Amino acid sequence: MTRARLTRGVIGAAGFLVAGELFIRFVMSEDLLFPPPSVIFLEAARLPADPDFLAGSLTTIGNWGLGLLIAVAVAVPLGVLLGAVPPVEQAVRPLVEFLRPIPSVAIIPLAILLIPSDQWMKVSVIVFASLWPILINTLYGMHDVDPLAKDSLRTFGFGELAVLRRVSLPNAAPFVATGVRIAAGIALVLAVSAELVAGGSDGLGVYVVMAGSANRMDLIMAATVWAGVFGVLANLALLAGERRLFRWHALRTGAARS
Amino acid sequence: MTRTLRGRAVVVGAALALTLAGCGAGEEAGTTSANGSGLEKTTIKVGVLPIPDPVSVYIANAKGFFKAEGLTVEPVIITGGAAAIPKIKSRELDISQTNYVSTFAAVAQGEKIKLVADMYQAGPNTFNIMVPKDSPIKTVAELKGKTILVNNLNNVAQLAVETQLKVAGLTKDDVKFAEKPFPEMGNAVNSGQADAAWITEPFITANQSQFGFTKLADTMTGQTENLPIAGWMATDEWVQKYPKTLAAFQRAISKAQELASSDRKEIEKMIPTYTKIDAKTASVITLGTFPSELNRDRLQKVADLMAEYKYLSSPIDVSSVIVPAPTSG
Repeated sequence: MTRARLTRGVIGAAGFLVAGELFIRFVMSEDLLFPPPSVIFLEAARLPADPDFLAGSLTTIGNWGLGLLIAVAVAVPLGVLLGAVPPVEQAVRPLVEFLRPIPSVAIIPLAILLIPSDQWMKVSVIVFASLWPILINTLYGMHDVDPLAKDSLRTFGFGELAVLRRVSLPNAAPFVATGVRIAAGIALVLAVSAELVAGGSDGLGVYVVMAGSANRMDLIMAATVWAGVFGVLANLALLAGERRLFRWHALRTGAARS
Repeated sequence: MTRTLRGRAVVVGAALALTLAGCGAGEEAGTTSANGSGLEKTTIKVGVLPIPDPVSVYIANAKGFFKAEGLTVEPVIITGGAAAIPKIKSRELDISQTNYVSTFAAVAQGEKIKLVADMYQAGPNTFNIMVPKDSPIKTVAELKGKTILVNNLNNVAQLAVETQLKVAGLTKDDVKFAEKPFPEMGNAVNSGQADAAWITEPFITANQSQFGFTKLADTMTGQTENLPIAGWMATDEWVQKYPKTLAAFQRAISKAQELASSDRKEIEKMIPTYTKIDAKTASVITLGTFPSELNRDRLQKVADLMAEYKYLSSPIDVSSVIVPAPTSG
């Protein structure tokens, strides 16, 4: 089953790349220039040997991870609090609903002006963007708790804190994990976007800015391929973590695999 | 299960704390206070574009000119002169590359910025209006009704094109300007999105060799001959607070500019080290000049052109914007 899926996936991706290669080499007008996939992947394979790229990737991944960790540290407790205390949620929810749809890229210029440290400016933007999916998923998980389970515990004389710890939190955990996985993708987008807009000493986005100034479309695309690879790897790692940690949840919900 | 979860939470929390601590440490070290050279600040961050213009900052680093002044200079990539203004205001950067048109426009809007050193001045064929191979357009006058690509609207690109339109008896209202990043101009013109493009190096060379583009006009002739293009800026506040640091920077940069002007090989050698322009391209691209002193009269020409073409609502006296290097030493 999974092997067949994997094979089909590989065939799909390869087919797309071959089609792109043929289109660029034979169909696209000679008056237009764009590096074909073969050139892009060759450059992508060479990039790890470029110290600028290596240092840049480490910086970007560092900001990405740090931003995501801070977002988790802020959004999960906040989500639990809001989920456990409805009056607080009612007070805070309008503000959340106002801030959440703001395109995070749009706050980059404001962040540049307000935050004098380049790294913290970028991390702040990443945190802002990653907060919402984690917060909303945590809230959703807290709301999803089976009332019968809570009532049973209360009947046996457990206090509210015990109910929270024994029923609500374990129930919300898989939702939190999904929120983190969604946030990870968004955080990577912001980590690179902030660099594209603001520049910096190094970073994947800074590397793309440098390549653009030198008319190196092949390097721009190669760096973009790597950004995609980082995103896929992070998603796979988080997905594997979720499956390991929350096997019981997958069983309960019928294991709808994405 | 709860036990496992709690264990993980502790690990994550600890990791977070460690990372935070790691980031905070050492940031302040060595940037201020007492040292042998008497500078107010010994480590400064300067914004640069990854293009040939700011080459002297890398030459000064490589040749030890900054070090001789007791100064450590860290170049940071910026995305444009105008984009760097918030960064010098937030003090993330001490000094930054800027283009003069952006600077004077910002000063006219009340930004408190000073120009502290010259960087790059146009030479022949450094900023050209290019048309595609087989273009029917043979003269600037034939641009009437056509679309011209510039890298930024209402900036030096458009100003330079307007001076050439004027010579041909046209104004900016006779053509259409559209904004496009330099790397995309070749494809955009060839796919019919525009008829001509205002291009600089290394894109002039690239579009000539890859697409057979030809030069319609050198925009740095006539009124714009030897037009000052880029310089170094800092905020008024920074200039007042760090006069000795600034003087040290000015002396070292001026020395590097002299070296760059006298020996093109120094520039060619340095460009591949801080841009993605390779050595071969660096050896063939057309470069402007690298003036070693901030000259009031030359810069006034830029401000006057801006006033003439309505980029400024009232004239600016550039004396109030420049901080020349101290004459002694």
